[in-house]
Amino acid sequence: MLDAVKNSARARRALLLAPALIFLAVFFVMPLADNSARSFLTEDGGFTLSRYAAFLTDRFYLGVILETLILSAAVTVISVVIAYPVAYVLVRKAGRLSGLIVFLLIAPLLTSIIMRTFGWQVLFARRGLVNQWLVTDLGLLDTPLRWLNTPGLAIAALVHVLVPFAVLSIASVLQGVDRRLEEGALVLGASRIRTFFEVTLPLTVDGIGTGAILVFMIANGSFVTLVLLGGGFQTLPLLIYQQFNTTRDFALASTMSTILLVIALACLWLQLRLLRRQGV
Amino acid sequence: MRLSDWALWVFTIAFFIFMILPIAVVVVISFTSAGYASFPIPGWSLKWFARIFEYEPFMNSLWVSLKLGVIATAASCLLGVPAALYLSRSRSGWATAITAFMLSPLSMPMIVIGFASLFFLSRLGFGVSFLSLVIVHTVICLPYVIRTVTAVYRAIPPAYEEAAQILGASRLTVFREVTLPLIRPGIAAGSLFSFLTSFDNLPVSYFFGSAQTNTLPVVMLAYMEHQFDPSIAALSTLQLVFAVVALVVADRLYGIQKMTVAT
Repeated sequence: MLDAVKNSARARRALLLAPALIFLAVFFVMPLADNSARSFLTEDGGFTLSRYAAFLTDRFYLGVILETLILSAAVTVISVVIAYPVAYVLVRKAGRLSGLIVFLLIAPLLTSIIMRTFGWQVLFARRGLVNQWLVTDLGLLDTPLRWLNTPGLAIAALVHVLVPFAVLSIASVLQGVDRRLEEGALVLGASRIRTFFEVTLPLTVDGIGTGAILVFMIANGSFVTLVLLGGGFQTLPLLIYQQFNTTRDFALASTMSTILLVIALACLWLQLRLLRRQGV
Repeated sequence: MRLSDWALWVFTIAFFIFMILPIAVVVVISFTSAGYASFPIPGWSLKWFARIFEYEPFMNSLWVSLKLGVIATAASCLLGVPAALYLSRSRSGWATAITAFMLSPLSMPMIVIGFASLFFLSRLGFGVSFLSLVIVHTVICLPYVIRTVTAVYRAIPPAYEEAAQILGASRLTVFREVTLPLIRPGIAAGSLFSFLTSFDNLPVSYFFGSAQTNTLPVVMLAYMEHQFDPSIAALSTLQLVFAVVALVVADRLYGIQKMTVAT
């Protein structure tokens, strides 16, 4: 009797979950499954692996996958290296200024990707502010440099979008480091630098990991920055965008998005493992 | 201060110049009197703000984006708040798995969600329509609501609701009088992030573009590909001001402390 009551209460509570679960199953899982299925189907409905075989043996497409991964990895490494000192200042040094720092980190997240790209285009135009500084004001160069459509500027713009996520991830782990461990190392005669590299840094590896995966995942899927700022990159999202717009080979685009999806799922799995280790 | 501290501060200041400069430049350019986008500006004027109100595609798409943001956020709350209430009180392994699943749209590449949904919704007969936009935006907004409401509700001891129940309140009364007021900051924060995400979204909306369903970012992208004038700057500035005001108002209403717990 009691069990029946308990079970019906549990069933009633599960109804709270049902609408969201059904909605996501139909409008999130099914489109992705449908899309992947298309990449395995021949024109007349049979099963084929030929697209993947072609994709993974073609030098050009292999290059695209590799370039996607390398670009994301580069953006991730740069973001983490830049983010760490900033997170360290935010948690350890800023004191009353920490509110301001958090605000300055969050404010860019409120701006559109279009706004930021527009800003980069203006700053680095041929007669833009940066060339004016370099040539006229500082006299470092004789002729203005061409910045737009260079890989460097595209990478800088991607870092600009993603680095706040890395700072916030690292800061949250740094906050939890037990400072007595550092004091212990100092008391026992380790230098500040040695204490940092042998105590603080290892204790924050998880934060670096979560931040890095987050940045990598977002970088892997981003294309608007690359469409507008150029840089000559050939990445999976850019190619999907082009297939959709011009070539219109939708089965190929499905193949590419399935590969992108698999990479994203692998990242998600890693992220969940890391978070579980942190006990979140 | 030690030398290393100096180095850290110099680095941090350089970092924030890098972060703020591209944004600040756009804000300044939106007030330019020139007919082109360049910095520094020759003089000040408000003409580009006037221009965006005269240019019909901007106004039409702004209306689409506002409607879309509000409806997708409302749908996300209707679906997400009950789910979050259930998930935050459950400690079982599969509740953790379901939470991870419900947050996973945040981790999937937007371009894949957009591309896949376009084909799937076309097969269902929705095609390129406002309803399709609402559906796909709800998929990407729902995680924000679930995440913030879960975080806030978890921090509330079940004792409050139990006390109300013991004192004879019905299930509905407990929800209305105890639970809802307590989770309101989470709903507010989730709705805010949800709306801003929808309003700013380009990679998904892009696939559902038509004269009736172009959102503001889609129109801005198309505009930027052909022209490079300061009206894009003026629009971006307005959007930024709007987002900052919304964040400040939410902060005044519910406190930054609760908001950061929620993120």
